[in-house]
Amino acid sequence: MTDQQHTYQGYGQNQEPYPQQPQPRDPWQYQEEHQFYAGEAHQGQVVPGEVVRREVTESGSWMFDGQISAYTDQQTYETYAPYDPYATYTAPTATVTAPAPAPQPAPAPVVPETPGYVLPPVPESAWEMDTKRSRLLGRLALLCILLIQTGLSLRLRGTAFQDEALYIASGHYELANLLHGDKLPVDFAAYFSGHPKLYPVVAAVVDSQFGLTGVRLLSLVFMLGATGLLYSLTRRLFNPRAGLGAAALFSVLQSTIVLGNFATYDAAAVFLLALAAWAVVRTDRMNVLAVLLAAPPAALAFGVKYASGMYLPTLVVLAVITAHRHRGIRAVGRGVVLGAGIVALLGIGYVLSGPLGGISSTTTDRAKGTDTAATMLSHSAEWGGLVFLAALGGSIAYALRARMGEMPWLGAETSGRWRRVALGLVLTGTALLAPAYQIHLHTEISLYKHVGFGLLFAAPMAGLGMARLVGPHFRHPQLGILLYVLTLVFGMVQAQRAYSFPDSTQMTDYLRTVVDKKGTYLAEEQEVPAYYLRDKTDWNQWQNTYFMDYRGKDGKQYTGPDAFRQAVRDGKFDAIVMHGSVSPATYAAVKEGLKNNSHYRLAAVFPFTTSSGESAYRIWVKR
Amino acid sequence: MTLPSSPARAMWPVRAVAAALLAGALLSGCTTFSDDGRNAYERAQGEEPGATADATESEKPEPPYDVRPLLQPDKEYLGVAADGAPKKMDAVKDFAERAGKKPNLIEFYSAWGDRYETSLVQNAWDYGGLSFIAWEPFDVDLKDIASGKEDDYIRTYARSVKELNLPVALSFAHEMNGFWYPWGTKKATAAQFTAAYKHIHDVFDDEGATQVIWVWSPNVVNPMPKVKLKPYYPGDDYVDWVGIIGYYATDGPSTWDALYGPSITQIRSFTKKPFIIAETAAQAGERKPADIKDLFQGTAKRKDFIGFVWFNFDKETDWRINSGPLSEKTFREQAADARFGFDVTKP
Repeated sequence: MTDQQHTYQGYGQNQEPYPQQPQPRDPWQYQEEHQFYAGEAHQGQVVPGEVVRREVTESGSWMFDGQISAYTDQQTYETYAPYDPYATYTAPTATVTAPAPAPQPAPAPVVPETPGYVLPPVPESAWEMDTKRSRLLGRLALLCILLIQTGLSLRLRGTAFQDEALYIASGHYELANLLHGDKLPVDFAAYFSGHPKLYPVVAAVVDSQFGLTGVRLLSLVFMLGATGLLYSLTRRLFNPRAGLGAAALFSVLQSTIVLGNFATYDAAAVFLLALAAWAVVRTDRMNVLAVLLAAPPAALAFGVKYASGMYLPTLVVLAVITAHRHRGIRAVGRGVVLGAGIVALLGIGYVLSGPLGGISSTTTDRAKGTDTAATMLSHSAEWGGLVFLAALGGSIAYALRARMGEMPWLGAETSGRWRRVALGLVLTGTALLAPAYQIHLHTEISLYKHVGFGLLFAAPMAGLGMARLVGPHFRHPQLGILLYVLTLVFGMVQAQRAYSFPDSTQMTDYLRTVVDKKGTYLAEEQEVPAYYLRDKTDWNQWQNTYFMDYRGKDGKQYTGPDAFRQAVRDGKFDAIVMHGSVSPATYAAVKEGLKNNSHYRLAAVFPFTTSSGESAYRIWVKR
Repeated sequence: MTLPSSPARAMWPVRAVAAALLAGALLSGCTTFSDDGRNAYERAQGEEPGATADATESEKPEPPYDVRPLLQPDKEYLGVAADGAPKKMDAVKDFAERAGKKPNLIEFYSAWGDRYETSLVQNAWDYGGLSFIAWEPFDVDLKDIASGKEDDYIRTYARSVKELNLPVALSFAHEMNGFWYPWGTKKATAAQFTAAYKHIHDVFDDEGATQVIWVWSPNVVNPMPKVKLKPYYPGDDYVDWVGIIGYYATDGPSTWDALYGPSITQIRSFTKKPFIIAETAAQAGERKPADIKDLFQGTAKRKDFIGFVWFNFDKETDWRINSGPLSEKTFREQAADARFGFDVTKP
């Protein structure tokens, strides 16, 4: 260590200058132990005359397993105590027999002064400092994590889910609207949970080249990117080991696995949030204004999926906590700058995009459901409980001690306790936002995806928790492996269950022989056939099974299930495709309408199985 | 010197966290790895819960046969029920040779408990004929069919129909308004008949056997005018064809209108479904050539009649078209009418 390092001043709680003397000692510090095993690294701290001291006097006691064992120093042998990072050292009892050590010069009083340059905290990675080799190893491990994530995502298979079909199909219409000014079949912006001109358009472009698989692969790229950014930002926040832990845990979550093969906004939004968080952390030591780099991805994340807005405050607070160069009001300034940047961008976006009814109908003012808080809590716990617990453990461990103390000679600078507590609270607490909000709305729709958004933020703390669980010098690797494997098994099984929707191949193949440009078709999850048959039909030919207003042939006005019943009786639809698992009330009404109805004939039944059971597409056609 | 910390104490957070993680895992594992959870997982894999791998054969990708064009074709069916057909097509070929036209509807009889004769249906189809099966519930109570006691059999039958994926006309318990069959008016009520008929239809729908053309096949009302047909009618959603049965007998009505008219009037009061004459023939005799001509002309005249099935048997009396040379000649002349016969594979 250089003198410079001895005198610089950290800005955390631990502001004492590096101690010059081996005594008096704080038992939590490890100054003494270097004299026993540290190699060259400790040379600079050893008081002059070490040899003399050893010859003559020094004897200390080490405490292992609650017992004090005394090692009498002998001049010709180094004493090798079994290394225990938790061991504490007691100062040698003064049994000096021979000439006292030469009086040492009194340490020069340290003059607190503003440093001209603040060294960044040295990452605590292993026995060594963060070297090229450790970085390479970290990246190799990250590569393995990403490969496992890819495998877990790609093992899921299926035809387009309702939402995927909706977004991609709408993207095609939006694209035609952008390029050729074609009229949109419906105002998608009025009911989409993200801006219809952002992700859907990208998805449609990819879809026309590579099909649904291509769009899903794009999502995989987004999720892999999110994992990579998570590694990077956690490494910068803490150390590479925590980074690997965070990436490993996040990569095997149910939501991550599912979203990595799911052509919806979610993957893009997660990626953008990760990018914003990474930018916040990456610019921690830069000029305050550099944090503005995080504003575009953050604002874009909101545009891509409005629910991401819930996590923007986390980003702002994170900007405050990670403001390394600044303290107090100046750190707050960093958050203000970021917040203002995001708000400004969103304002511009709003002015450009016009009214977005979808924000309120899907996100802020969503229709309240009937799901109970207990169900949602237990489901959230199933989906993210392990990682949340790990994050909680990490936060507590981090609040207690900034470092594990593997390299006590690096004990220079760490964040102060308040900063550590705040970081843990904010990141871990963010994982609770989505469940809390959806419990407030009483609806569990998409919660299985949304927990993943929060866990993205909790993952750094979980990674740190995993690193602490493993302990200094990989003391308990089995615990880390246990945590990872448990998370993986849960994630894999739950993803398989979540990623289970009707196989529509036969249904769309059959409908292809039935539909034309003029007909009207009633279909449960009408987005799916509307997407697959968009070359043969127009969006508005497909009637959904959720809402319908209908003026019957008897002249009466009907709504809800009655409308469907009457429309079927009147033979309004040229084909009806139902399976009853999405709109059971409409299905019952349609069946009633089909009773004694000579308009329709059951044309095909295509059974399918999903994780919720067996069912079948039933297709009725006009006779 | 006493110290504030000991290794045991230093270990506690690690142990506590590990214990908390395990407890959390066990708690959430209760649902994820429960029996229900495992079943859901297997289903999501596309497997039957608890099934072995070979039981998960995928469905045939072929779309179900669309029978709609066969329901109301522009031309008339020229059907035949002949001895041994369609197991052996000799009798049908002989009929075709004599009639000068290939029949395109081949009727045969199947007793309750018989399996769906896929090879026969395939045979007929290969010849160019749609199969018309009269499904006769001998030795079974209509009540048992309606109550679901026979569902295993019906399901197996329906699955075979679906698997073969060829159109087939199915007439269950024909002549139910007569007294001569065990499912007739002496043994069962109209309600029991409709309940059984609807139940079979529902099971077929449930299995997705949509290849069936459902034929409701009453006898002409003339022999038992007091039996009203309406109570026997299962409903428009259960019926594709009204397969009326009436023979030209020497001691019965001698004209098309007299033979079928009264039944048509009654049936048209409750349904507009197309008619097919599901069984007919003329008793050998002097009148036979005239009856044959009357049958062709009467059927062709009415737009809502889509053809007839000639009962070409020598049973009780000689119903065959070749019972006499003049009959055969008349039949050949009449069948030459372009309105009769068409390719059922390309209607």
